[in-house]
Amino acid sequence: MNDQNEKEYILSVLARNSPGVLLRIAGLFSRRCYNILSIVAAQTENTAFSRILIVVAGDDRIARQVEKQLEKLVDIEEVSILKKDKAVVREHLLIKVERTVQNSEKLIGIAGVFHAGILDVSDNTMILELTGDADTINSFIKLCEPYHIIEILRTGSMAMGK
Amino acid sequence: MKLTGAQIIMECLLEQKVDTVFGYPGGAVLNIYDALYEYRDRIRHIETAHEQGAAHAADGYARSSGKTGVCIATSGPGATNLVTGIATAYMDSVPMVAITGNVNLGLLGLDSFQEVDITGITMPVTKHNFIVKHVEKLADTLRQAFAIAGSGRPGPVLVDIPKDVTAQLCEFSPLEKLPARAELPLPAEEKLERAVKMLSESRRPFVYAGGGVIASGASAELKRFAEKLDAPVSCSLMCQGGFDQADPRYLGMLGMHGSLASAAALKSCDLFVAVGTRFSDRVTCNAEKFGRNFPILQIDIDPAEFNKNVTVDFGLRGDARRILHALNQRMEGGGHREWMERALSSKKRDPVSQQPENEEAVTPHEVFGVLNRLTRSRAILSTEVGQHQMWAAQFYTFKKPRTFISSGGLGTMGFGLGAAIGAKMANPGKKVINIAGDGSFHMNCAELATLSRYCIPVIELVFNNSTLGMVRQWQKLFYSGRFSETDIDGGTDYTMLAGAFGVQAFTISEKSEIEPVLKKALGLNRPVLINCLIGKDVNVLPMVPAGASVEDPILEM
Repeated sequence: MNDQNEKEYILSVLARNSPGVLLRIAGLFSRRCYNILSIVAAQTENTAFSRILIVVAGDDRIARQVEKQLEKLVDIEEVSILKKDKAVVREHLLIKVERTVQNSEKLIGIAGVFHAGILDVSDNTMILELTGDADTINSFIKLCEPYHIIEILRTGSMAMGK
Repeated sequence: MKLTGAQIIMECLLEQKVDTVFGYPGGAVLNIYDALYEYRDRIRHIETAHEQGAAHAADGYARSSGKTGVCIATSGPGATNLVTGIATAYMDSVPMVAITGNVNLGLLGLDSFQEVDITGITMPVTKHNFIVKHVEKLADTLRQAFAIAGSGRPGPVLVDIPKDVTAQLCEFSPLEKLPARAELPLPAEEKLERAVKMLSESRRPFVYAGGGVIASGASAELKRFAEKLDAPVSCSLMCQGGFDQADPRYLGMLGMHGSLASAAALKSCDLFVAVGTRFSDRVTCNAEKFGRNFPILQIDIDPAEFNKNVTVDFGLRGDARRILHALNQRMEGGGHREWMERALSSKKRDPVSQQPENEEAVTPHEVFGVLNRLTRSRAILSTEVGQHQMWAAQFYTFKKPRTFISSGGLGTMGFGLGAAIGAKMANPGKKVINIAGDGSFHMNCAELATLSRYCIPVIELVFNNSTLGMVRQWQKLFYSGRFSETDIDGGTDYTMLAGAFGVQAFTISEKSEIEPVLKKALGLNRPVLINCLIGKDVNVLPMVPAGASVEDPILEM
């Protein structure tokens, strides 16, 4: 999938909280050979519904197909393709880094520049958190790399139309 | 009124005007079968030899009647045996409700005896499915299942019900009246006008109809549309009978084994009007080469079918019958005399036919000719999958919708006999003939027992060439005649086999026997098997070889 027309699309899906609804969505992607880059699901203000954000890779035709195929699922209320410039897009990162006497200050410095939070300081490790768009998070990880990253947890993209 | 879950199922079936169901009992559906016993004067249950047969029968019932077919199976293997039948219905958009029992609620998820996650298994092959864990939700779930199966683009819905839910008591309030099915609105006026403009500007329009025409009951509107537009018509396999094949405008089937006239029209048309069809790879053959030389106007109820397999210039979403009606009202009558003459001349020049190996050899072409004459084109033909299926589509003259019952999308060998049982139950006044090959016949021949047990007068017509003919044909063309595992002459004695099931058998081994045997079989009002012996090397032609354009079929091989 290295097509030149390949882009990332963010689909915002409103689904009823029926058993297996995530499985139905994931199954649809898998059997129709669509590529999920990330998926975030959570309950909405109305507990009967979930909002699911899916980032897919493909061209315009594929994005439209995904949208229309998703709309056919009985439990799905609404599907929209969010345009990046007309939405706020955020990811959340938790990162555990090795801490030594020498690097503590440097890590705190990096965290300061990015407005990242320091969640835990243990004898040999430190856990930082950061919220931002994918580029910011990628840069932050890059800067932490020299200090030995032990574990990374990263959500997919959450997005909300403006 | 307090009823058990099982009784609620019966009441819900009656609400939906279901009078026939197909199934097979078992541990998890004991309560349901007990209720069936209680309701036996209002709901007829046909027990097939295998659950797969029950699913195909429900499918054949639905395809031949337009009503939603119902099948019932027990948990575990009973449920998994339905899967091929459900997938068959899904691929051809057939309305079906499959009811499966499951183990008790407390045993779910514990790998209990005959437990299987059938909702998980059938997720990709159902329009939707449910597991009902609360008896209070049972009635509404079943109502929803029927509504989903029959509305929009139809399809199968599975409802899985744990055994204890079918035993629990619950207050049941009958539905006063079935809610009216929500109709899709017509496309906006400017869209209809744009389509009318495309149609009126076309000099060489070509109408291509698919299964959606039959599903929406659009045959009469389609005929008017073709006349008003003054255009030739081709049909997909799924639309056989959706347009009267005796109509002079009909050019034959389009696709891998379509007619030359259809291929010729495709080559020279300047507008391709696709109605209720999904551009299957068996039609486009090579999707990249399809539609390069003409714009496509597509009418479909499922918007996901626009630009799925081929790029469409303009799509009208909605019910085919209503859209055709709206277009017919808005269209000025066009005259394309020259184009019609050209399209029809290639039909006269290249009729699809077969040359016999010798004077006495039986050709399928001739058998279908006689069958067509004796049944006055009024029979319902179901088919299995393979060469015989294509011959049935090519040689029988289907004049009415819902008379050709065939697994087009999934291509399920073993489909036809079960489907014929369903079709006959739905149409007791019509002759029902299942067209089979010897390969497909062997897959589900145990359903002969069902024919016999209920004395269902279906004719099982087996084109017996002792080989898997369609695969052999491909081996001949693309595998230099290495006939790997396709010769299947295991010495089955068809007469004895039929006799063992209590089914009368006939053999056709030479030309002179075709008419007397068919006449006799059609005259008997009982199950019959006809073993019709044909040569191994009768091919299905024309044929579009793999990768070629559907405009360029080959005529000999």
